[in-house]
Amino acid sequence: MVRRRSGPGWAFPARAPWAPRLALYLLTLWGMLTLNFLLPRAMPGDPLLALMDPESDAYLADPGIRERILQYYGLDRPLWEQYLVYLGRLARGELGWSIALNTSVAGLLAEHLPWTLLLMVPSILLATLISVWAGAHAGWRRDTRVDRALLVAFLLLDTVPIFLLGILLLMVFGVYLGRFPLSGGQTPFASYASPWAQLADILRHLALPMATLTLGLAGRNFLLARNSMVTVLGMEFMQVARGKGLPEPTLKYRHGLRNAVLPLVTRFAMQMGAALTGMILIETLFAYPGMGRLMFTAVAARDYPVLEGGFLVAGVAVLLANALADLSYAWLDPRTREAPCPT
Amino acid sequence: MLEIVDLKVHYENPEAPERPIRALDGLSLDLEAGESLGIVGETGSGKTTLALTLMGLVRRAAIQGRIRFQGEPLPVADEARMQRVRWRRIALAFQSVGSAFDPVYTIGQQIQEPIRLHLGMGEAQARVRVAELLEQVGLDRACADRYPHQLSGGEKQRAMVAMALSCDPDLLILDEPTSGLDVLTRSALVEMLSRLRRERGLTMVVISHELADIAHLTDRTLVLYAGRVVELGSTPHLLEDPAHPYLWGLTNAYPLMTRAKDLWGIRGALPDPGDPPAGCRFHPRCTQAIPQCREEVPVLAPPNPRFRGAGRRVACHRGGVVTLLAVEEVCRTFRNGGQPIPAVRGACLTVREGEVVGLVGQTGSGKTTLARIIVGLERPDSGRIWFEDQELTAGGPEGWDRARQRMALVFQDPYEALSPRLTVLELVREPLDIRGLGTRSERDGRAQEALAAVNLPTGLDFLYRRPHELSGGQLQRIAIARALVTAPKLLIADEPVSMLDASEQAKVLRLLKHLQNERGMAMLLISHNLALVRKVCDRIAVMCAGEIVEEGPAHRLLESPGHPYTGSLVARSRHLFSAEHPNPPSSGSATPSTTRTKEGRA
Repeated sequence: MVRRRSGPGWAFPARAPWAPRLALYLLTLWGMLTLNFLLPRAMPGDPLLALMDPESDAYLADPGIRERILQYYGLDRPLWEQYLVYLGRLARGELGWSIALNTSVAGLLAEHLPWTLLLMVPSILLATLISVWAGAHAGWRRDTRVDRALLVAFLLLDTVPIFLLGILLLMVFGVYLGRFPLSGGQTPFASYASPWAQLADILRHLALPMATLTLGLAGRNFLLARNSMVTVLGMEFMQVARGKGLPEPTLKYRHGLRNAVLPLVTRFAMQMGAALTGMILIETLFAYPGMGRLMFTAVAARDYPVLEGGFLVAGVAVLLANALADLSYAWLDPRTREAPCPT
Repeated sequence: MLEIVDLKVHYENPEAPERPIRALDGLSLDLEAGESLGIVGETGSGKTTLALTLMGLVRRAAIQGRIRFQGEPLPVADEARMQRVRWRRIALAFQSVGSAFDPVYTIGQQIQEPIRLHLGMGEAQARVRVAELLEQVGLDRACADRYPHQLSGGEKQRAMVAMALSCDPDLLILDEPTSGLDVLTRSALVEMLSRLRRERGLTMVVISHELADIAHLTDRTLVLYAGRVVELGSTPHLLEDPAHPYLWGLTNAYPLMTRAKDLWGIRGALPDPGDPPAGCRFHPRCTQAIPQCREEVPVLAPPNPRFRGAGRRVACHRGGVVTLLAVEEVCRTFRNGGQPIPAVRGACLTVREGEVVGLVGQTGSGKTTLARIIVGLERPDSGRIWFEDQELTAGGPEGWDRARQRMALVFQDPYEALSPRLTVLELVREPLDIRGLGTRSERDGRAQEALAAVNLPTGLDFLYRRPHELSGGQLQRIAIARALVTAPKLLIADEPVSMLDASEQAKVLRLLKHLQNERGMAMLLISHNLALVRKVCDRIAVMCAGEIVEEGPAHRLLESPGHPYTGSLVARSRHLFSAEHPNPPSSGSATPSTTRTKEGRA
């Protein structure tokens, strides 16, 4: 939607509205990279502690070798120098070399990221669908039995910690019923008769962690969805729409939910961070071979390059989600598309 | 076309379920096809509830009563059946248009919705219709592609009307169609609405607290107060001469360009709808309430025949605003050694309940004599005087005596009027002492209250002062307190502020008006100063050589005087009290004493 400005014909907006926003994103990215560099180093200990500690089994007795290794990883240099090297490497697109696992970080990420995406993307989509639909319905049927039942159920889901929920599902469906495997992304050392069999195996492994994450996330969004729906339903324009004689489904979805969804979009983006935290817990619990587990082991080993790489991926994911929300907001809400009227 | 009988809408009260909020309590009305009915009332009087009830949009409320629309009952509680009535047969242009449009769809999309639903038009056809509708209400076709936030308040109002007209409803309800609009937008909208009404023969219900809109858009008017109908009649008659004290107060508080007096609202506030007063709901604010008003609910009945208009109904035990004082053809001639000096020659004057009437005329025109006759200090040679429905001239002195307890007189010169021997307390207490009302301490208390009411100190030091120790302003306040102490129904003030300087004059006059409004008194203000009188008076009577030559609403009398004497009085006052000096300083003075327009000096 372009606004007609004073002057003949249709004119482009005087200033590209995305320019300041892009600058803001870049600034955020830089801040994030700096934190990614600083935070692992702020933790007590370092990746070579075991090699340098005389008490440890892996102690390198030769001071020359110790010196060489420190030099090799660049850890003997002052922090600001390390920082510049880190930024320079990133600028060249190099993610570095894992200290603990002795493989390339890029390779590690390529190996683990698909698993995480497989778990996370459907979970978030499903959780959003469930919570928005249930929240809208509860808001529409506010103060009825349906509303109360949904409210209790989702509040319970929201308050139960996600790992407890995971353990519960694991016990019931994995241990007692034995329907689903207890851990892993697929059966180890299995050979499959067809790609379909492999897919089935992967999906069977995926079921429980995905259910846990979906339920955990759905609980958080339900209340907002319901509340947002209730707020919208109380607005004047809903009464006007009803006064126009529109049928219930049109009122509920075309006018009600359509407006109620706006705050949810923001929430969705902000929740990416929380979803990632949940991921680490869930992947650890189900021994799922995704990013969460990679990060968990990397933190234990103080594996700086892996941590930097992992956080970079997570941070970029959050930023992308925010950018997506920003863009979709403009698409969803005409009021944000342009500066308000000069009247 | 529309017939409502004894409609009651009681909202659930979540805080006190046993006390529902009585938004409407027994409303009945009839509406013929092609007619336009105005509904007037303060915020909270139930106007919008009526509109929402007719649309079946009232939630969490008990609805009782009969509503028939086009010969069949209106199924206000049946959501599914109401869906077919809404917009197609009854459309409502909602108030507060600021939030009446869905922010995420364009205006065109929103107007199209009911068209496509009820008239079964396709998208292309509906677009054409939207464009036509927008042009009809004076909007650019391009508005269809704008979002609500891109429209101004006035444009949204028009778009709302276009939307309400979109399905050619049989009945159009306009809820506060012009609220919050500036004058130009408003008059354009009102013009557009009356044009549409003429062209389409619309049947309309116009809900508004703007009397001007009601006057322009409706044939008949219904006045609501706290959920009840208090007056009903043809719009011009109702607004010209309101019968119910509430409507009278409302029209008096309405700002008019020609109205020079300060605006004072109706005393008190609208009652709590969960706990309305018994009897007439207006009685706590009414100036003419009698015990019956506190107990019995008044029914709609023809008012006092004095109020004109066919089919007029008013819900007032007293048949509308009561005439408090009526002076008919009163004459008084003094004799100076056989030489007759006619002071008052057939003067006629009325003062209604709660009204401020100004009696204006030059010195020697007989104003003071007339005032003295009214309070019984002089006997008229002929003519009749009624006060509170008692003919004083018919009875003996005891009639005047009783009346004098309900009237009080404030004289021009407080130095002469107040005895120099008495203390402040004695002066104010004296009217009570003479009548022997209450015990001594009660009288002291009432005197102190009266002093407090006129913003004078009530400390012992002040109470025991004597007139010579006080200023003119203080003395005049004491004279007013002395008049108020008996709680009169009518205060006659003869040049009450003419001895005071401009600042003190303004203060005392405002005080008088404030006391009059708060206590619900009527006031007869006698003065030669037209500029002053017009600031407080509802009506003005002009006296010339012993006759009342003209009497009428203050704004009309000043705007278009009917009698040449009034005309010259107004013209002279204009000239005398104009702020411009006869010899203005040469141009370029620092103080802008004249208005300027953009093009140049006015």
